[in-house]
Amino acid sequence: MATYSLANERLRALEEIEREIGAILQNAGTVILELSKEKTNERLLDRQAAAFTASVQHVEAELSAQIRYLTQVATGQPHEGSSYSSRKDCQMALKRVDYARLKLSDVARTCEQMLEN
Amino acid sequence: MRPRSSRELVSARDFRFKATGLLYIVKLGAVPPAAARPGGDCGGLVPGSGAGLRPRAAWPAMAQQRALPQSKETLLQSYNKRLKDDVKSIMDNFTEIIKTAKIEDETQVSRATQGEQDNYEMHVRAANIVRAGESLMKLVSDLKQFLILNDFPSVNEAIEQRSQQLRALQEECDRKLTALRDEVSIDLYELEEEYYSSSSSLCEANDLPLCEAYWRLDLDTDSTDGLSVPLLESLEPSAGPLQAAAPAHSHASGPGPTEHA
Repeated sequence: MATYSLANERLRALEEIEREIGAILQNAGTVILELSKEKTNERLLDRQAAAFTASVQHVEAELSAQIRYLTQVATGQPHEGSSYSSRKDCQMALKRVDYARLKLSDVARTCEQMLEN
Repeated sequence: MRPRSSRELVSARDFRFKATGLLYIVKLGAVPPAAARPGGDCGGLVPGSGAGLRPRAAWPAMAQQRALPQSKETLLQSYNKRLKDDVKSIMDNFTEIIKTAKIEDETQVSRATQGEQDNYEMHVRAANIVRAGESLMKLVSDLKQFLILNDFPSVNEAIEQRSQQLRALQEECDRKLTALRDEVSIDLYELEEEYYSSSSSLCEANDLPLCEAYWRLDLDTDSTDGLSVPLLESLEPSAGPLQAAAPAHSHASGPGPTEHA
């Protein structure tokens, strides 16, 4: 898609949050794995723990913002708009093009037959 | 985690300081639990840990809240609650795992038993973290669904965009068809000229009596412009098939004689 609409931006933000949740679990696992070793790498531990905490806070902030936005825009009514009319018009235009193509092919065939005869 | 051997306990004491330091770092950056459910799942394993036993804080009043239907409002509140609970569960269980990693010199039971207990506790807390993470994923999925169905500004924009694309395509098709019509009409005019002036446009012999067809052939070979008039006059009282042939012949009468000459 060449242009991204507002809806897709929010959906992409939610997909990003999903990836970040996976990263949270991975960071937590790395920290615990590192703790279980005899010789731990302190810097790695600190880094992973900080990343874990930052990711959790970021996920919570983003999801809260999304829920706040939905609270503001949701009306409870179903959306009744559709693009059916323009889709039907486009479909009829494509049918017209197909019909013109068929007729032109008939004329071309007739011309060829005349030339052969 | 497997039970710790005596050799491991020596080096494991070093973990105590490191784990304590790490716990300090984690507590500094931990999310302050604003609302906690009494007896929540995150603190259920170790009642004395203090996780999940604080009284519930009141929900912050949402500014700019419109009059939503009860179901929608309840749904959004449930989303908030799920988010808070899952995040709290992740943080608390993670903190408790780090705390459990701390080595204590004095235990109420033997070290092996304590080790087994800690092992089991860590497994359960890790499972709780994974469950909370999965619950967060489900929440994100529900938010996506809610967004698609109820975010009217973006739905309107998506519909508008789609309608514009389809209208542009339709206009393009119609424009090209109009241009094609103009070109084909020129070619068709030339084709018609060619067709009606050629021998294939003349009345076919099976449409006429044989004498008439022969007579017309003779007339065509000797014809001038003046001969075409008596031909038409003689054809007027004739039968139906000939009447259909007459306009064709009159149409071809101009260029016809020159071709058949």
